[in-house]
Amino acid sequence: MLNINGKEIEVPANLREISLLIFLREFAGFTGTKYGCGAGLCGACMVHLDGEAITSCQYLVSDVMDHRITTIEGLADTTSTGDLHPLQKAWIEFSVPQCGYCQAGQIMTAAALLDKIPKPSLDDVRAGMAGNLCRCGTYKRIQKAILKASEEISDERK
Amino acid sequence: MKENESSMIPLSRRNFLLRTGWIAGGVTVLTSCSSIIPPLPSLNDPTYEDAFSWIQMRADGHVVFYAPRMEMGQGTALGLCQIIAEELNLPQSAIDCISPNTDQAPPFKMTVGSEGIANYFEPISHCAASLREVLKERLRNSTQYNLLEIEDDMGGFSQPDGQIIPYADLLDDAPMVLTAETAATVGKNVKKWKKTGPKVIGESWKDPQLKAIVTGQQTYSRDVVIPGLHYGYIIHKPAFHAVLDTVDIGSAMDIKGIVAIVPSKENNFIGVVADNPYVLDEAVDAISVKWVYQDDPGDRVISDILDVERVRSTNSFEHEILSVGDLKTGLSSSFQSIEARYDTSFSAHAAMEPRAATAWVKEERVEVWSAGQDPFFTQKQVAGVVGRDVEDVIIYTHRLGGGFGGRVRCQASEEAAILSAATGHPVRVQWDRAAEFQNNYFQPAFSHYISAGVTENGKIAFWDHDFVSSPILTGSVPGYIAWIIDQIKADEGTARGSVSPYHMKNQRIRYSDIRTFVPVGAWRGLGAAPNGFAIESMMDELAVEADIDPLEFRLNNLSPSETKTRIVLETVAKMANWGGSMPDNIGRGISCAVYKGETAVAVVADIEVDHKSEKILVRRIWCAHDCGLIINPDQVAAQIEGNVVWGCNMALKEKMQFTDGTVEADNFDGFEILRHDEMPDIQISLIRSDAMPPTAVGEAAFAPVAPAITNAIFAASGRRLRKLPIMYEHLTTEN
Repeated sequence: MLNINGKEIEVPANLREISLLIFLREFAGFTGTKYGCGAGLCGACMVHLDGEAITSCQYLVSDVMDHRITTIEGLADTTSTGDLHPLQKAWIEFSVPQCGYCQAGQIMTAAALLDKIPKPSLDDVRAGMAGNLCRCGTYKRIQKAILKASEEISDERK
Repeated sequence: MKENESSMIPLSRRNFLLRTGWIAGGVTVLTSCSSIIPPLPSLNDPTYEDAFSWIQMRADGHVVFYAPRMEMGQGTALGLCQIIAEELNLPQSAIDCISPNTDQAPPFKMTVGSEGIANYFEPISHCAASLREVLKERLRNSTQYNLLEIEDDMGGFSQPDGQIIPYADLLDDAPMVLTAETAATVGKNVKKWKKTGPKVIGESWKDPQLKAIVTGQQTYSRDVVIPGLHYGYIIHKPAFHAVLDTVDIGSAMDIKGIVAIVPSKENNFIGVVADNPYVLDEAVDAISVKWVYQDDPGDRVISDILDVERVRSTNSFEHEILSVGDLKTGLSSSFQSIEARYDTSFSAHAAMEPRAATAWVKEERVEVWSAGQDPFFTQKQVAGVVGRDVEDVIIYTHRLGGGFGGRVRCQASEEAAILSAATGHPVRVQWDRAAEFQNNYFQPAFSHYISAGVTENGKIAFWDHDFVSSPILTGSVPGYIAWIIDQIKADEGTARGSVSPYHMKNQRIRYSDIRTFVPVGAWRGLGAAPNGFAIESMMDELAVEADIDPLEFRLNNLSPSETKTRIVLETVAKMANWGGSMPDNIGRGISCAVYKGETAVAVVADIEVDHKSEKILVRRIWCAHDCGLIINPDQVAAQIEGNVVWGCNMALKEKMQFTDGTVEADNFDGFEILRHDEMPDIQISLIRSDAMPPTAVGEAAFAPVAPAITNAIFAASGRRLRKLPIMYEHLTTEN
């Protein structure tokens, strides 16, 4: 069994040795997670494994059996209101995406980063996001959006 | 395709009009659309009449807009919606913006060249205004109202007493569209933004797709799933010059789920089709292929071919782009003169989304789900590879996961169609990262040599600029045709930006098109960035040689007509406090460029040489930018930010090299691009030139970024590095 976005999904025996990314996209239908490089170099396929950001192209399904996977489709549901995640809101507020292809991965990395460091400095953000590539060059807006979301989250907690 | 074009075209046009409701909407005179039906390939700039086929008003007063530009993050569709809204006084919610499939719009030009706003502003604003005026006329002629004075108002018109008559009240049940005939009478009545001042134009509307993108709901071409979908993998040639010889499919067909192996000598690949996506790798491993290598590039080194000094030694350049005055006179009037060679590297588009497409070749028609910069070219190509009429093929368009010029060709669509035709199933073909790097075309390397001099009073005495590169626009043209083309005319893409904005009495620019074994094609800005790098580097060297401040030297030498360039230079200098005191560890450089003779951009860069991490870090970039009327300031800023990142990449990162016809780097570990922790701070100033028409944005700010950085590296280190990209170690060794 795999728990994906809160739902238990049975893994057919023949799919245990395929990559988690392919399983998510082709079997489970979570196509929001993107293939970018297949080598853990670009971050487009970032998902959460028990809350930690991982490149799903570098894991086999058998590596993560019985663990909890969250994809971009499940991120909003992890907030108390079921509303968009503060990061997703900030992404919209600053019109972060250009082509948008890498952004699910960017957001998943950022969400795990904010779980670890709720009030990151700009340098924390730059270092924490260094594994996520964006060819359109939206880095500045991503960094700004993460800082904005971190304020939102800490305001919510007050 | 041998069909008689003249008899085919009207049929195609009629079918299109029927399908999309244009005929029901009252378009009857088909000849009025003749200009919008394809010349091949789709290269025609839009006309006023073309816009009539993109905009229709539904009975409820909403506009349906079939955006004639493919969206890849450049925000053009959004800007065009704002232009419509401005003329028709509509809120964003009243415009349905659709990325048209090939049966929803007549062929339009491929989405290239930063033209989306610049070239489509006029026809679209004209059409939207005409629509408004036609409706106003209806209102005036209506017996229902007796109106002396009516005013334009939100979503319709208002009477003097304030009562609003919405467009919906003036519409029939059928969608309303214009024709050349119905619009001509009101054509001169275009309000545009001039009369009353813009309302929607100049606002930063948001892309309606943002929510879908940040929640993972946006569909890219790889995400398409249709019932009965099969999965294809293409074994591509391993090198540019490899030709398929023999294939041993081994036990591949015994693997459960494998449906077909399709070796194709004609297309020079082997396709593998399965009924599920999980067994393709195993099948590919089981197949052995013998390739033969024709026209082996051998040990030919590209840097020896694209070598400006080699051509200079023969003094025989194919093209003289410009020649004024006399170089000898210029040299004799020089107080100082220098010469230098500048080189830039091959590069790849490296869009984050490797291309993919799904095709279903059926008896009645061929359907393709793809994402490219030219869906109508895709339509023609697919029709060609499966031997069908163009009008039997429909392309469903999707947002591109990055384009940058690399998606004009449509290889995955063609491959999917071939595999679907061979198996009868719908097939999705998706390239992996290595395929994306190896099998597309590239930005060519450029090699420049400039000799120039300065007079005693700081004017450019002469400018002798030679360069060589590969022809970009005609890069895919084969054999002897290419040879003829190269003789006749310098490739306008490669030569883009080679004429500087400076006044030079004695000037010569020479260029030779040199084709190598590396396929080349469109890449962001084409020649603009490499040519800008050479020009702005030499400008800096001349300023240093003449002991004049680089900003002052540029201002002192701008052509009198370059008012916009003057303003952006002065603006960026003010923003960055040019001439102010600098920390010891920071070097500062300046640069400017004019894109396509219309968009003026100036950039200041601050760089730091970090000896601890052994890196050259771009710390801050200031950019002043004049693109005429600004439709959406936030989208313009986003494009500038992207160009800044591309400029950093060009200066410090990107270099594609080849061995035996194969890319040396086929992933992001070998082909590196800027990362989050290397990102400079960016400050942007958008010059307000609202009285001027909008000009190109998407590639405009790219050219001045790299030279501003390298000029800053010189300021910081005293090292003049003339070959890109520059690595930390080049500060102490040759690059």
